[in-house]
Amino acid sequence: MEAAHKKEAGKTAFAEYDYSNFYYGAGDDPLNLLKPFSEWYAEALPNGYYLYSEPLQTAPTTRVTVKNRKNGKLVDLLNLASYNYLGISYRPEVKQAAIAAIEKYGLGASGSPILSGTLDIHKELEDSVASFKDKEAAILFPTGYSANVGFISALMRAGDSILLDQYSHASIVDGAILAKSKTTFFRHNNPMDLERKLLKCTGKKLVVVEGVYSMDGDVCALPEIVEVAKRHGARILIDEAHSTFLFGQNGRGVAEHFGLDKEVDFHLGTFSKSLGGQGGFVCGSKDLIDYVNAFGRSRFFSCNLAPMIAAGLKAGLEIAENEPELRAKLWSNVAYMRRRFAEEGIDIGKSTSQVMPVLINNDARVFAVAEKIQDRGLYLQPVTYPAVPKHKSRLRISISAAHTEAELEFATQTIGSVLREEGIIQ
Amino acid sequence: MNDGKTRYGYADAISGFFEFPTENARRILPSHLEPVEPHHGTSIFAMTVFDFNESMVGSYGEVVMAVIVSPLVKPGERLPKSAFFPYQVATTTKAAREHAIERWHLPHWMEDVDVRFEKNGHLVTAHVASGGDAVADLTIGDHSWQPVSHLYQSFMKNDQGAYLAQIVMEGQQSEHEEELGKLVLHDHAFNKPLEIGEVYDVPFRELWMRDGKQTFDPLITLQTV
Repeated sequence: MEAAHKKEAGKTAFAEYDYSNFYYGAGDDPLNLLKPFSEWYAEALPNGYYLYSEPLQTAPTTRVTVKNRKNGKLVDLLNLASYNYLGISYRPEVKQAAIAAIEKYGLGASGSPILSGTLDIHKELEDSVASFKDKEAAILFPTGYSANVGFISALMRAGDSILLDQYSHASIVDGAILAKSKTTFFRHNNPMDLERKLLKCTGKKLVVVEGVYSMDGDVCALPEIVEVAKRHGARILIDEAHSTFLFGQNGRGVAEHFGLDKEVDFHLGTFSKSLGGQGGFVCGSKDLIDYVNAFGRSRFFSCNLAPMIAAGLKAGLEIAENEPELRAKLWSNVAYMRRRFAEEGIDIGKSTSQVMPVLINNDARVFAVAEKIQDRGLYLQPVTYPAVPKHKSRLRISISAAHTEAELEFATQTIGSVLREEGIIQ
Repeated sequence: MNDGKTRYGYADAISGFFEFPTENARRILPSHLEPVEPHHGTSIFAMTVFDFNESMVGSYGEVVMAVIVSPLVKPGERLPKSAFFPYQVATTTKAAREHAIERWHLPHWMEDVDVRFEKNGHLVTAHVASGGDAVADLTIGDHSWQPVSHLYQSFMKNDQGAYLAQIVMEGQQSEHEEELGKLVLHDHAFNKPLEIGEVYDVPFRELWMRDGKQTFDPLITLQTV
């Protein structure tokens, strides 16, 4: 052991460290962590980190051409990684709308939405979103991240209390930090723990949940959480990034799915998941939207969405609204994969949605497994600590309505055979 | 071996890492140290219990209550795995206590404590008591085992100054986040720095090392404002 220590001295070995080791570092120079990180990252890349950010050479359809970052070769893969849950972003109607918008407006909005950057297409998209979500009004944000950051910090202040599910997306956490409110995390999807935490809260209270949690694919325990929050006078924000356009009779999201659309106070969503575009939105009462328009700093200190994006999203939203068969196909695909994964003995944890974690539960081997799966023709990424707890590493899969049954069967058999070869399953 | 290092051998060293409010962490920490936050507003309380079987003061048990803090990173030096500020240390023998105070300036509970390890399958519990009264019961579970050599930092502060100890922990290690363990903190003066009700009683991380060596580099005196 002593010899091993000496050999490693001064060297930041891949196996010994992870991302979390390079975040905190006291000292006299903010650059001190760069060299250790660079050394580690240089080792991490060939050991599997090259699987991240491999540049796609094609649209994110169900088949993609990817440039392998390790050997530079172009490979044709079955795409299980992109969101695009309804396969809408590359539909001809969407592309035509975006092309027409770029012909009409040019590249960008060229201004803040509260000054010169609001175009008629933005208002049309806001009206479409409000109508789709059955709310009085909606407001656009340039990204889903900025929607959470801007909305939460617009509404909450120092002295208030924000209660977050422990698996909250970074944008929700960052919004709470920016609001300077007291932030308390409750155990994931645990209304009893939420209640314990609410009992200690003061000031205005906001409970934030997500419709579908993006690392585990499980659905929010919304009825129980709403009941607890209401009993303690807390307002509720639901981030339906991964559930808008998918859940509920009309596709409005998990709140509609549970019949709690009116009980939830604030509804937030993104356009980058189901529509495969970009941007975020908040919808609710007109008073709420006017207030967010006035105080949502992440929005009005950014340029508005590019008009071609807004136009494409409007066309995409119309497809999502008018073609409920897309949702039906997605859920049929999800059911197929759940059944086939179960038959193969592949563990997808608590997922009940289109987001499926294939649990490897071996941090040391997840990259080798992912590499082998890519070599066999599938495009997906490993997820490991600190994005998920230690020993809970997984391959994250996104199912789309655009996948054919043959593609899903190929994916199942490929994953199953690799996991069997690697001894992950029997 | 006269290389300036101080070595201790241990049979078991178990740690539980628990979320607790950053307000509580800041009340414990000196102003020159920053708590590590796994979540915004949430810091990490760590309880470690050692069963030392080899040292210059013989065999003894030790309990260390600490807050996890930002490590000190210096160019060209090995990157620490993590760093901690032990705010309360207690030992089962007077000799061990005096040794640690004199050599490492560790803040000590000035009475001998009772430390008893109880192993039950994949779980181990360390029962700590002082003056006949229970102080804390820490239970953790094991996972996969592998040999490791990890560098940690320990920050100390007393009336004379602030100090840093660089510590290499070697041995067989099991580390996981399966939430198998539990912490019971008893209403005892030992735990006065903690708001007991605010310390989450299930560890988000459990670390068990066995049959290993703990090696301290010579103590470093820090310049602080």
